[in-house]
Amino acid sequence: MMNKADIAVIGTGPAGVSAAITAVQRGKSVLLFGSAQLSAKISRAEKISNYPGLPDVPGTELAAAFKKHLRSAEINITEDKITNIYDMGGKFALQGASSEMYEAAALIIAVGVVPSKPYPGEKELLGMGVSYCATCDAMLHKGRAVAVIADSPDEENEVKFLAEVCERVWYFPLYKDKPSFAAENIKVLDDIPTQIRQKSLSERTLVTNKGEYDVSCVFILRRAIAADTLLPQLKTDNGHITVNRFMKTNVKGCFACGDITGRPYQYIKAAGEGNIAALSAVEFLDAK
Amino acid sequence: MINKIENSDLTAAKAANLAIIDFSAQWCGPCKMLAPIFDELSEELEGKAEFFGADVDQNPDAAREFGVMSIPNIVLLKNGELVNRQVGFVPKEILKTMIEEFTD
Repeated sequence: MMNKADIAVIGTGPAGVSAAITAVQRGKSVLLFGSAQLSAKISRAEKISNYPGLPDVPGTELAAAFKKHLRSAEINITEDKITNIYDMGGKFALQGASSEMYEAAALIIAVGVVPSKPYPGEKELLGMGVSYCATCDAMLHKGRAVAVIADSPDEENEVKFLAEVCERVWYFPLYKDKPSFAAENIKVLDDIPTQIRQKSLSERTLVTNKGEYDVSCVFILRRAIAADTLLPQLKTDNGHITVNRFMKTNVKGCFACGDITGRPYQYIKAAGEGNIAALSAVEFLDAK
Repeated sequence: MINKIENSDLTAAKAANLAIIDFSAQWCGPCKMLAPIFDELSEELEGKAEFFGADVDQNPDAAREFGVMSIPNIVLLKNGELVNRQVGFVPKEILKTMIEEFTD
């Protein structure tokens, strides 16, 4: 498995796909992180009316065309969710939800925006009984009770995994079509979580609209992780990464493109920015 | 040199003037990246701090005592008292600065 590349591109929407294609065309090796099915935001679009050359293209068709283009450019998608990025000075280390580490000399962030605000207490307790990565931290809660909050059915495997290790799993799916599990120690609830409090060194209290749950850890599994959580020194404004017109962020070697840089949230704007970000990253690498 | 903690025995770490404990595990990717950095710092700061390594699977009680909820998790003890903590991977220079804040 290739764990090192010139450029790491995070996100498989139009911005990330476009950035990866341009970077590879310019002779750079690329690690593209996201879903092999690409961002759900593409395929969910009923039709896109302003993408040049593809009038009224249904999202599913655009996604299929993107996949075909990636295949012909021999770009593979690494299906791992990046949960943390570390600026090592001259290179970036990326941590995946699989607990795998990756390395790249330049970074393009194209993670999109998912409207979600952190819960009160979430940021303060991150790493101290709040976790974004079940694979990484499950074993530290062996035999104890945990809570899982997730915004997509993709996380249900993580819930099953946690149930194998932990005594009890309180599951709070934030999506429609609540699942059911065979494991008896998983309890699916329709409460709406509101807050996380520190109870003691070993316990957190998850507060919901219906009650309170004392657990060892609250796992929060979201499709997108806030940019300033991914890489804390990134300059952001209202959830968007601040970039200049070359898609440069305030962190050397780190570029951003697509919805994460701000409105308008348009497919063609994202694809265009992906192109600029890739060219800027290539220029940055060649100047090194 | 890194002193390996076994059977959750923290006696030596608590007795040290300044102890740095790295809680980690075999299955943890970021821990593996941190290990060589921790090694180097234990050489560079020899005599200024004592370095300990604790595998959380072998030392669950020690991990619990210090509320280790995510790894890697580096705990700084000054005369047995917890004075600072770093959760997650950290570049070498930042970790070094963190430790030097408490050296005599």
